[in-house]
Amino acid sequence: MNSFEINISRLAQRDPALAAAIRQSGRGTLEIVPARTGMMSARANGRWIHSAYDPIKEAQAWAESQTHQEGETIVVFGVGLLYHVEALCARLPRTVTIVLVVSDLRVLADAAAVRTWGDWIDRISWAWGTTEAISERVASAGHPLRLVTYAPAAALHADDHRAIETALQRRVATQAGGQLRIAVVGPIYGGSLPITRYVVSALESLGHDVRWLDHSVHATSYQQLELLKNSQHRLALQSKYAEMLSRVTMAQLAEDPPDLVLSLAQAPLILPALEHLRRKKFLTAMWFVENYRHLTYWQQLAAGYDFWFVIQQEPCIAALKRAGAKDVRYLPMAADPSLHRPLELTKEEREEYGSDVSFVGAGYANRREIFPRLVGHDWTFKLWGNEWEGATGLTSVLQRNGARVDTDTCQKIFNASSVNLNLHSWAGTGLDPEGDFVNPRTFELAACGAFQLADRRSLMPDLLAENEIATLSSPEALPAEITRWLHEPAQRVAMAAQARQRVLAEHTYQHRMRDLLSRIGVASPDRIGSILRGDRQAETLAVAAAEPFPSVASVLRTFPSTQRVELKQLAAQIRSRGPMGTLSREDLMLLMLDEYRSETKDLV
Amino acid sequence: MQHDEGATERRLLIQLARLGDLVQSLPAFVSLTARDPHRPLDLLCPAPLADIARLFPNVGHVLPWNGEQWHAWAESFAGEFARSRLCEVEQYLTELTTEPYKMAYVLNHHPRATLAGTLLAIEVQGPNLRGPLNEELSPWASYLRHIAQTRSSNRIHLSDTFCGLCGVTPPSVPPHLRLSSIDLPGDLAEVGISAGQWIAVVVGAGDADRSIPQSVWIEWISTLLAQDSPCGVVLIGSERDKTTALAIQDGLSPMIGGRLWDATGRTTLPQLATILKRCHWAVGADTGPLHLAASVGTSAMGFYFSHARVHETGPYGQGHWVWQADCAKPEAWPIQASVEVIRDPVSAMQQEPVAGWSLWQSHHDEWGAIFRPVGDSDPQEDQRSAVWHQLTEQHLSLQGMQ
Repeated sequence: MNSFEINISRLAQRDPALAAAIRQSGRGTLEIVPARTGMMSARANGRWIHSAYDPIKEAQAWAESQTHQEGETIVVFGVGLLYHVEALCARLPRTVTIVLVVSDLRVLADAAAVRTWGDWIDRISWAWGTTEAISERVASAGHPLRLVTYAPAAALHADDHRAIETALQRRVATQAGGQLRIAVVGPIYGGSLPITRYVVSALESLGHDVRWLDHSVHATSYQQLELLKNSQHRLALQSKYAEMLSRVTMAQLAEDPPDLVLSLAQAPLILPALEHLRRKKFLTAMWFVENYRHLTYWQQLAAGYDFWFVIQQEPCIAALKRAGAKDVRYLPMAADPSLHRPLELTKEEREEYGSDVSFVGAGYANRREIFPRLVGHDWTFKLWGNEWEGATGLTSVLQRNGARVDTDTCQKIFNASSVNLNLHSWAGTGLDPEGDFVNPRTFELAACGAFQLADRRSLMPDLLAENEIATLSSPEALPAEITRWLHEPAQRVAMAAQARQRVLAEHTYQHRMRDLLSRIGVASPDRIGSILRGDRQAETLAVAAAEPFPSVASVLRTFPSTQRVELKQLAAQIRSRGPMGTLSREDLMLLMLDEYRSETKDLV
Repeated sequence: MQHDEGATERRLLIQLARLGDLVQSLPAFVSLTARDPHRPLDLLCPAPLADIARLFPNVGHVLPWNGEQWHAWAESFAGEFARSRLCEVEQYLTELTTEPYKMAYVLNHHPRATLAGTLLAIEVQGPNLRGPLNEELSPWASYLRHIAQTRSSNRIHLSDTFCGLCGVTPPSVPPHLRLSSIDLPGDLAEVGISAGQWIAVVVGAGDADRSIPQSVWIEWISTLLAQDSPCGVVLIGSERDKTTALAIQDGLSPMIGGRLWDATGRTTLPQLATILKRCHWAVGADTGPLHLAASVGTSAMGFYFSHARVHETGPYGQGHWVWQADCAKPEAWPIQASVEVIRDPVSAMQQEPVAGWSLWQSHHDEWGAIFRPVGDSDPQEDQRSAVWHQLTEQHLSLQGMQ
């Protein structure tokens, strides 16, 4: 009997359906090539799946680099010739469950034909079939899950794996019940400042304990530096100022260490500070709500954050990874329905804010070039916002003499306009040929139930469909499109209503934050994941502690059962017994640990 | 076989602070062992200092307190309650002692030390009168706090207050560490071998504000080596003092070649103690090495400024010298005068006063160490006897209440 038959027969004893499916699947996905050591290695699409020199040594090194906490189930992405799975089995205790995701049975068939598997193969639980079936199988394997990827082999099925991960994240999000302590680090000023506010609000509404480290209070001082005429002095002082605010942030974090530090774009945290946070075991994430092509400071920070969330897909994600980011995910913008909502406007408000066509935003080059062609038609056009100095062709439509428009006014304009233009900013003329991400205004308009005509963006179709948003393919077509939509009021209303429903169902900041946390939870099952699962709640902890540490369990039971309890709270509870309180040995141990804990986060 | 009751009543002395504090615990340790010679006395100290603790005369077991490990546990606990970590803590404590001590003497007014005592012993004697949750202080701890806050006219040495905390009186003779023969690395083996005076110069200090400027050291060593009599200098310090030591050597004349050894960052603590023992003098501002020098029988001369005060933390024993500055940051230094003390201690008694400094010499009597001014009488009355009687009475009265 050859290796294939031996292996499949062995597999059939534990999973006959899988064995039968492999017999039917065919082979040939992997090109089998001998390595220098004589062991078989493999290639696919011209790339090596295992080492061309010593696949076993390479697999052992990979297995050694994987972390594992007691009680976790390991989920392996990437099949190849299973050298890495064998090495992982050798490294982990036999009690650890290992689930192998098999997206393509032909790869497993290739692996079965190359060499005879040892006893380790009996330790593997197989997750195969459709994406849904695999997700179901993985999810039922036991919690917490730790996902590990053997990248050379996993790259063959990256889309499948992403879909499976997303499905698992949704499960985490659905099951999330624990309360995280999150420090949100916002910018000094700029477009990400209101987003920070929405993020804080969304996290709070999800039940987390949120602390906003609000640097907008420093805006006046920072803007004074902008007034310095000597650019050398200005840049040097701005850099020093950012460094100082970084230290302020560290001091704030040290006073009350959170589970997660979530920065929004432009947050004043410099790389040395982030590296120090990592050394002190803080988890950090950045939601980079900027166009990575325009603002490039991410290059200096990429390696500093544990998690990056970006509003663009490839090539943005690859660029960040090249710059040193370990974990980069797509997380589009959103709306906050508590602010961005349909409004009942008074007659006066309708007169002031209403028009056939409107635009709210700053005077970027492409808008300055396109909008003059909207003046002088038989519709009313109102242009709102600042930074329109020198746009003489737009003076007749510019409102409030180009003053900045606040959020409340913005909502009124959105609600009062028949056609809201949404032209993404660009420094060139016409429409951005590389336009990919979808701006916040898109979701805010939709959440208001306002009709919008937006420039075409490559990532738009996944977020809003053709029956939810009108799109524009060229600036030349803009007047005709406006005329068309002004003549179709019923369709405008229908599309706007559908867009609002879509945003409420999928695109609020609550959705985004749930996705963000579940991603971090899946990637960090022993920390964020365990809190989200509620493993740190008093009753759960009390049950876990009861057997060896009954005294600790009884302290834990003095807390409400769903309250999250940490060492700090335990120690405080013990100290609250007062000067004459009696202490068990376990109490003393906890108090001693708390003494050291209070010195652990010496960040500044 | 008759059961030895004393042996079962094991005692533990707890000192979790720095090198200087550990060495200053020696008198209390010796008095405790002298009071109950048949009851074993073990010593709990920071793990990096365990080799020095093992030099204490008649010490039983030395228990190394692993602060780094505690920090690591605390860090892994931050944000979560980890049962497995608590099991490790339990295992660690069991490895320190399977059975609790009958008594722990705690010398640090710090919750960690009190908690350690309560974890490891049935009874605790120390700064806290009634356990870790109660802030009521013992009479000696109250006295120490009062001195720390007011400075006042105290003349009781910290080593002797440690004795008071433990309920014993100071030893009649200043005790010494038991230092056996220890090999020294490379060229340091020559230290103390050839004739002449050997001077250990402690170049650094525990805190930056207590460092003597490099230029002062360069002038001081140049002045010392300018004298005719044979003399060798050994620079003493830790790894972080190496740069200072190199800068001092760079500033010295090449003519001093062959008379200066650099031991900074090159020795273990027992090796450092050996070097200090082979020297005739140890000079500097870092009180840790000065206390170590005094504890191996070497004369010590300290320059005390910033927070350092001669009466509380001068080198313990007979015949040590301390230059006490009038201000926290001296601008002038008693270089010539201090070198003169080393050259001819007797003539130091007739020295002219040095502006900004006062010179004190140590003595020892029934109440322990006392520093007296050179060339003048102490403006403060020696109230040690009265303080000891008062605090002892308070201590006994509290014991009666309990």
